[in-house]
Amino acid sequence: MSHNQNQTSKLVGLLAEFDDPDSLVHACDHARQYGYKAMDAYSPFPVHGIDPAIGIQRTKLPFIVLSVALCAVCLGLGMQWYTNKYDASPIFPGYAFKISGKPYFSLPANIPVTFEVIVLSSAFATFFGMWLLNQLPRLANPLHRMERFKRATNDKFFLMIETGDAKFDRSRTESQLQQWGAVAIEECRQDLTDIKLPSWLKLGGVLLAVLLLLPPVMIYRAMGMTNRHPRLHFMPDMDWQHKFKAQRMSPALAEGSYLFADLRSARAPVAGSVAWGHLDTDGEMYRGIKKDWTPKVTATATVGPSVSTSTSSQDAAAAPPQEPTEKVAPPAVVEEDLTKYVTEFPEGVNVNAELLARGQQRFEIYCSVCHGYAGNGDGLVNARAVALNATGQATWTTAKSLHDPIVKDAEKNPLGRIFETISVGRNTMGPYKDQIPVADRWAIVAYVKSLQETGIKPLLVVDPAAADAPAVEAAPTNSSD
Amino acid sequence: MATVNNYLDNTYDDPDHRAPLVLGGMTYKTVTETVVAPWESDKPPRIWYLLFATAVCLLMMLGACIMHLLLKGVGVWGNSNPTYWAFPIVNFVFWVGIGHAGTLISAILFLFRQNWRTSINRAAEAMTIFAVICAGMFPGIHIGRVWAFYWLFPVPTEHLAMWPNFRSPLLWDVFAVGTYATVSLLFWYMGMVPDIATFRDRSKTKTKKLIYGLLSLGWTGSARNWHRYEIAYTILAALATPLVLSVHTIVSFDFAVSQVPGWHTTIFPPYFVAGAIFSGFAMVVTLLVPARAIYGLQNLITLRHLENMNKIIMATGMMVGTAYAIEFFIAWYSGVPWEGFAFYNRAFGNYWWAYWIMVSCNVIIPQLFWFKWCRTTPWFMVIVCIFVNIGMWFERFVITVTSLCRDFLPSSWAYFYPTSIDIMMLVGSFGLFMTLFLLFCRFLPIIAMSEVKGVIPLEEH
Amino acid sequence: MHQTRPAKITSPIFSLKDGYVRTIPLALIVGAVGIGASLFFSLGDGLSDGSLRRFYYIYLVNFCFLLSIVVGCLFFVTIAHLTRAGWSVTVRRIAEFYAACITPLFILFLPILIPVLMNSDVVYPWVHGGWSLHDKTEAAAIAGLPLAERPPIEVMKAAYLNPIFFGIRIVAYFLIWSAMAWFYLKTSLKQDVTGDKKLTLRMHAFSAPGMILFAAVLVFSSFDIEMTLSPLWFSTMFPVYFFAGAALSAWCTITLTASWLQQTGRVTDEITTNHYHDLGKMMFGYGIFWGYIAFSQFLLIWYANIPEETFWYNQRINHDGWRGFSILLVAGHLFIPFFAIMGRTARRNRKFLSAAAVFILCMHWVDHYWLIMPEYDSVNKTFTFNPLVDLPCTVGMIAVFIAFFCLVARDRPLVPLRDPRLGQSLNHVVH
Repeated sequence: MSHNQNQTSKLVGLLAEFDDPDSLVHACDHARQYGYKAMDAYSPFPVHGIDPAIGIQRTKLPFIVLSVALCAVCLGLGMQWYTNKYDASPIFPGYAFKISGKPYFSLPANIPVTFEVIVLSSAFATFFGMWLLNQLPRLANPLHRMERFKRATNDKFFLMIETGDAKFDRSRTESQLQQWGAVAIEECRQDLTDIKLPSWLKLGGVLLAVLLLLPPVMIYRAMGMTNRHPRLHFMPDMDWQHKFKAQRMSPALAEGSYLFADLRSARAPVAGSVAWGHLDTDGEMYRGIKKDWTPKVTATATVGPSVSTSTSSQDAAAAPPQEPTEKVAPPAVVEEDLTKYVTEFPEGVNVNAELLARGQQRFEIYCSVCHGYAGNGDGLVNARAVALNATGQATWTTAKSLHDPIVKDAEKNPLGRIFETISVGRNTMGPYKDQIPVADRWAIVAYVKSLQETGIKPLLVVDPAAADAPAVEAAPTNSSD
Repeated sequence: MATVNNYLDNTYDDPDHRAPLVLGGMTYKTVTETVVAPWESDKPPRIWYLLFATAVCLLMMLGACIMHLLLKGVGVWGNSNPTYWAFPIVNFVFWVGIGHAGTLISAILFLFRQNWRTSINRAAEAMTIFAVICAGMFPGIHIGRVWAFYWLFPVPTEHLAMWPNFRSPLLWDVFAVGTYATVSLLFWYMGMVPDIATFRDRSKTKTKKLIYGLLSLGWTGSARNWHRYEIAYTILAALATPLVLSVHTIVSFDFAVSQVPGWHTTIFPPYFVAGAIFSGFAMVVTLLVPARAIYGLQNLITLRHLENMNKIIMATGMMVGTAYAIEFFIAWYSGVPWEGFAFYNRAFGNYWWAYWIMVSCNVIIPQLFWFKWCRTTPWFMVIVCIFVNIGMWFERFVITVTSLCRDFLPSSWAYFYPTSIDIMMLVGSFGLFMTLFLLFCRFLPIIAMSEVKGVIPLEEH
Repeated sequence: MHQTRPAKITSPIFSLKDGYVRTIPLALIVGAVGIGASLFFSLGDGLSDGSLRRFYYIYLVNFCFLLSIVVGCLFFVTIAHLTRAGWSVTVRRIAEFYAACITPLFILFLPILIPVLMNSDVVYPWVHGGWSLHDKTEAAAIAGLPLAERPPIEVMKAAYLNPIFFGIRIVAYFLIWSAMAWFYLKTSLKQDVTGDKKLTLRMHAFSAPGMILFAAVLVFSSFDIEMTLSPLWFSTMFPVYFFAGAALSAWCTITLTASWLQQTGRVTDEITTNHYHDLGKMMFGYGIFWGYIAFSQFLLIWYANIPEETFWYNQRINHDGWRGFSILLVAGHLFIPFFAIMGRTARRNRKFLSAAAVFILCMHWVDHYWLIMPEYDSVNKTFTFNPLVDLPCTVGMIAVFIAFFCLVARDRPLVPLRDPRLGQSLNHVVH
């Protein structure tokens, strides 16, 4: 060993080779008993019994993993609580929504994900904690420069006593190792000439870091920009589908020829179609028409669209027949067949206090706005409209008072007719059958009849001239019942 | 110690001493050389090229199918009312199940100190990861708009302004399979580092030296490192064990938390796990029997290893069979007409053929392993194991499709027909799996050398 | 490298010696007093109307508790042979003794079985009609009518749930279990004398079909004995739940017995710290397994929310007293043992591990109490804990069980003397 070599390389330790694990353990035992501390054994597989021989303390890794696992419990539960329950945060708030009848934060349903978060975090802690404690990765190690040491991952066993040990003495240690059964001993030297990083590596690293910063910067810049070009369609994303969208024109097959002659892409249901659950065979209940009534066959009776939009054939039959078209008479003068309406409540409608209470409640929701709480035709909307009529700002047909003698007359207005009025409307009154279910309509009929029987008079007669006062009058009618 | 008798057969059962797990009088050196040989040889055997070419063809077919799917939409599959879950889910559950054997061998058998695992755990773990990749692909493409995949994760996005629903078992799946893939990868890589260090120390070219040098993280095999390494390995095994149970349990939750007859039954979690291990072991045997023949590993992957795996296949097969029986009994005992119908329909309804394929492959055929000849004859066990895999695929098919095709609403009842894309994707997923596995065989240590060296009988030295 | 111990038993006594002569009468007296006191106080229980229903229910709780220990030990023996386990040889005999207690345990089941056979629904409600009806007056009326008048679900289930078939099944279960347990014990005892390793091979050969038999019997016995107490309820997971608890309690009982034998100087250094370490691992593992099964069963039923199933959990979770028991189970059966025996130091400490075993066994008793007792007041599902009936019966039954163990163990060796794997077990090291 020349002087020159001593300057370019440094002695790290003495490496002794052994043939089998037993002699390695024996040598370690001797070395520890002698008092060496800075030493390590190297083997191709974990040799059992070497830990006490070399004096290795049990690692703290399990405690690191346990503490990470306990934090992960909070992380897992907290993440689910925040995202699915807590939506009060100003930035990235959670999203609380009811689904499958489960509470927002329902512990049983949150356990699987919590468990997975615990396992994932603990596995990371174990994996990275182990490498960290082992001070790996360490790519530059003088041991790797030794040809002999390559067999440490194959079939040989090594013990290295490092120069840093207080008891290390080059020649004494060598003879000791020989004495303890080493088959070969070699110096492990660190080459001092190439322990510095090459300068191009540093420069390259800086350049790479700068380049890596570019994409996020560009994305951030793009987020604040507008662009007149259409969005890039790198995937069709169901934008072009083989179907006709609602309220579009029928596709053209050729010039002037369309798939559907009426030029609409939407199709009306086939005549006679009945919506699911709307067969409604009980005419008394659903339309207020007597069971045994059959329409008089008058010559050219057609069904006007204003009568009923229902496609049920029975409904069409029940509609009042119109005058023959050549007479050109307004539809209002159509003579009504009043015998067709039921005069009793249909089967299944039990008139009792409960029904009346329901009827009153529904009446006050749907009817009172025009007809008034007491049925005097003085509802809030009506009053306002009448006031606007007076100034010529509206053309409003005054709502009927339900106490009007004609309306009250059981002959001219049998129960079924009232029901029909509510269902499909009359004159300018609109239909309510889509808003009010059948049972509720009958409840309103019952309540209307009871209102008419009690014959409540208006508390305040509306004077069309006093257009400013309509808001005042609605309040006292509340107490009328 | 290695007598002629031992060399030929280490499947004997002698309570006086354990049968050797490594044959042929192997030493540390010969173990290294046997494992490294396929990697060090300049060219892999011709059969490798043949298999690899086939696998890559299938993989390209899979890629083409996926492109077709992305451009056209999920309508290219046979999934339709009422069977909206069909091949993709069946394939997903099938592949996740295959993956379970690897973790079982590397973690559970490790905790139970079954030393025979050392020869097979590396390949089985690799198989786990490749199977999980295949599995993860199916729900990945099943979401339709693949480019919005990040909606599955709790990513704070301003434009979306919402979060995943953590009460849904499908989201549990995302977490379970994601965790499983990650932890399996860590476990596999960590176990491989000492062996990669062996590769590093035997590398001849600069490229190999660089790649394996980086991958081995500078491993020296120091006793202090081994100490922490072994404890970390035990902790990872202890984590992977409940994890592997949880993964197939959560997969079973996808079905079992619903109210669909035939899906909602409480035994699903352990029954799915047993089925997963069953199919996974069958796949390990199917892969390792040819691999040991091609690479001459008969002394490391001995008949005893194969026999032990076959015993586990038989045991888990019977657990699965027991679960079938319990389900039928409870379907009757519960007195719930829908349950009763669902199970009657499984066995004797429109998919009776699938059900009986499942029963014969999963319950009846593995009974052959009661005979020692059957479980110690390599070519024969491969046949049985292929049947097991067919059976386990059909089990998932039966569960998924028979229950769905008989909806609560008889007007929706329909028969499910797979499309050609369905079938090509199933076949293609095997291409993906085989490609990855063959690459693994070529470039990474297929047997855990450092672990095998630890179980070589001491007397040989 | 390692110091190898010779495969020889070095303990001075290695049997109960004369201990059992003193223990058996004492245990039987305690048992008689305890059960007697429980019977006496049971007559005064508020809900039983002067009948012995309260006593029967707490008796069944304790029976199931003891049965699960015995069945778990039988599993231990079978799995040890099936896996050719070497480490567990020195503690296997304890399990063999406990497993053989299955035969006397059948006698303890007679007080439950005989009323069933005599058509009394004092324990199992399905013996009489009307159990499936919510209206109890209607139920009372129907109960007096012939079978055909029952609601359809009862008629259907009567094919399985009827006294005669029940009796036949129970006898079959105990016959199969007894045959298995005594086969293992006899063969193992024979080996103590001859040292013939063929006997080990014979036990190995039997263990595979034995395991199938064991599983089949376990499935149906757990349905019959515990699940049918609530005849409308069903869960395919139930046998696995029963098994998880049984295996867990078996590990605890074996640990506790081994510890007691060492404490009293009967077996000294055959059972080492390493054995306790492994037993502790098993307790830990099966504790988690129990938690996994219990949670899975609960989650599936909770999530699907189907009335046919949820009522069972509803009465155990949404009634104040039972809610406390449910929380106690989650904490005491899963979490407390999990953290207590998670560490290596805890598992290698014999006294600490024994204390943990006692704790887990108590929780296992609570588990069966929680499974069975809510059915006692099946009408109002109120919480009923009557310490005057429950505790004496528990003490008495455990005393009787100890007498059974002493009777089976007598002066037989407490460790296998000439098992071929004895050396492996003695030199067992957990790293």
